[in-house]
Amino acid sequence: MSFGRFALKRSLQGIGVVWGVVTVVFALRFVTPGSPINAVAPLDASQETRQAIAAELGLDQPLYVQYGQYVFDLLRGDMGFSYIRGQDVATLVFGRLPATVELAVAASVVAIVLAIPLGVVSATRRNEPVDYGATLLSLGGISTPNFWLGIMLILVFAVQFNVFNTSGRGVTVVDVAQSVVGPAPVFGTLLAWLAYITLPAIALGTYFMALITRLTRSGMLDELSKGYVQAARAKGLPRTLIRYKHALRNTLIPVITVLGLQLGTLIGGAVITEAVFSWPGLGTLVIDSINTRDWPTLQGSLIVIGTSFVLVNILVDVVYAYLDPEVITD
Amino acid sequence: MVSSRVIRNLKKEFKRSGLAKLGLALVVVIVLTAVFAPFIAPHNPTDQQLNQSELPPIGFSQTEERTSSQMVDGEIRTVTEEVEITADPDHVFGTDGLGRDMFSRVVYGARTSLVVGVLGTLLAASIGVPVGLLAGYHRGRVDDVLMRIADVSLAFPSLVLAVALIGLWGRAAVDIPDPFVAAGLAPEMPETFVLPITVVIVVGLVNWVWFARVARGEALSLRGQEYVKASRALGADNNTIILRHILPNAITPIIVLGTVQVAAIILLESSLSFLGFSGTTLSWGFDIAQGRDYVSSGQWWIASIPGLAIMLSVIGINLLGDWLRDALDPGIEGEGGAA
Repeated sequence: MSFGRFALKRSLQGIGVVWGVVTVVFALRFVTPGSPINAVAPLDASQETRQAIAAELGLDQPLYVQYGQYVFDLLRGDMGFSYIRGQDVATLVFGRLPATVELAVAASVVAIVLAIPLGVVSATRRNEPVDYGATLLSLGGISTPNFWLGIMLILVFAVQFNVFNTSGRGVTVVDVAQSVVGPAPVFGTLLAWLAYITLPAIALGTYFMALITRLTRSGMLDELSKGYVQAARAKGLPRTLIRYKHALRNTLIPVITVLGLQLGTLIGGAVITEAVFSWPGLGTLVIDSINTRDWPTLQGSLIVIGTSFVLVNILVDVVYAYLDPEVITD
Repeated sequence: MVSSRVIRNLKKEFKRSGLAKLGLALVVVIVLTAVFAPFIAPHNPTDQQLNQSELPPIGFSQTEERTSSQMVDGEIRTVTEEVEITADPDHVFGTDGLGRDMFSRVVYGARTSLVVGVLGTLLAASIGVPVGLLAGYHRGRVDDVLMRIADVSLAFPSLVLAVALIGLWGRAAVDIPDPFVAAGLAPEMPETFVLPITVVIVVGLVNWVWFARVARGEALSLRGQEYVKASRALGADNNTIILRHILPNAITPIIVLGTVQVAAIILLESSLSFLGFSGTTLSWGFDIAQGRDYVSSGQWWIASIPGLAIMLSVIGINLLGDWLRDALDPGIEGEGGAA
């Protein structure tokens, strides 16, 4: 199979999964106790009003028509209307998405920048103090609830030392970008942005830092014991070159796959991190919409979350296949 | 099912690894704490003593500003004074905002975490393992369908799906009588253990897919083995082959995954309780949520201590999982999602 065919096949599979996601989310409405009419109608609504609402929402149609309509609307970018917020669900969800993406990316950056050097050092200095330190740190990292870590960070840095903000997203990455070209002071804007994002990014990123450290360490140990490393060493290649150009490269490929699979954990973690830091993203939207029984918003958020997961995993698989063409033949 | 070779490897790895010993010690302590909670907890964890609220843990003291109205020179004035609050030896970990003993709450919280962790894992395994074995053994269309279901299920983060399902289904809980209290051995303690049953069902439904993936992989590699072919040639039907030959040989990685999953589900349960999506108020996550409101006013211990309890339990279980994995080497590094 060629690379192009593989990418196409993987994308078609992804469309199938997204369709599954949409179907599950549509079905959620029917495992919910109580009619969706109740969410809209006043408590003392007459039978006529209720019927009018049912007709308006399409609930008087047969199930397959409702389903068809739902999928058709989604394809047009219409996710329905939130009666509780009085807003279009699509506007609401896509308005919140950038905040979550920003948090998730910042957390991933924190995780990757710290974890890969830590994992490499840990593997190349096996059973030395550095290795024990890194092992303990990563053990702690994968075992700490991120919401608790967030609260502890607030306790130490915001309450005791009064640095960093503890809630909200007063300055966004877009503001920082605009300050570079616009009149706002670049350095000040950057600092203000860091004050908001640093603690949530650490709280969310720590688990992934720990996970990547563990994976990099064990992957590196595995690679360093292989024949090609010995051959390179025998040939007299410098140690740094062998470690970073050869061994690390081969280590990172499986690390990327696991990270793709763990993206769900990252988004799940973002939900609760957002709750701790009042971060105005999709996570807080999900929690709010459940607490206010705002089902259209919940459904829209779930579809966007599920679809992003599928898209990123297709991307990971395609990049993986590009880096390591062997997987295509498997 | 467990051969003597497996036991030998476990012992060898245990002797070699200090972390394995630490893990086992932590897990034993937590299990004993959860089982014998009524005897270990010095107070009833739900008893409120409002005149003893916000006491710091032993070894710490807390200054608090108190305002009161006093008569000074014939006038009523508001006087602010600094009051030093010292620890009470009766409350080792201090008390929370409602004067409940933190140590007793941590002890009882172990029950919720462990019971939800173990029951949730068993439920996830009892769905995921049969599905995975059937898919991997039969391959073809069954496999395709089951694995596409697994893909869809994976597309929703555990926590998001769990929150959504609990939001839709409600927060049901079952009261289970505490046998020690029923026998009159610990009369002061809560009479029932509140099992957040929706949480157990939801975490099982959310995490089955990890078991399905591992079981499927095992079945795929085992189905071509000589002994499986021989058994089939002798006329054994598929279900017998799966039960007698595939499952026993696939059990090692499933057990290792199960251990990691208990830890993951404890984290998930604490997240759900923290967000208020649990049916019980006797949970570490719930206490952290309560303690969060006291962080800015200086009562740091209310949120910190239950979090340390979660961390130590999860570290213990993860170390146990590492020990099993290193000793049995099933090669499933990186599988299994957390909260």
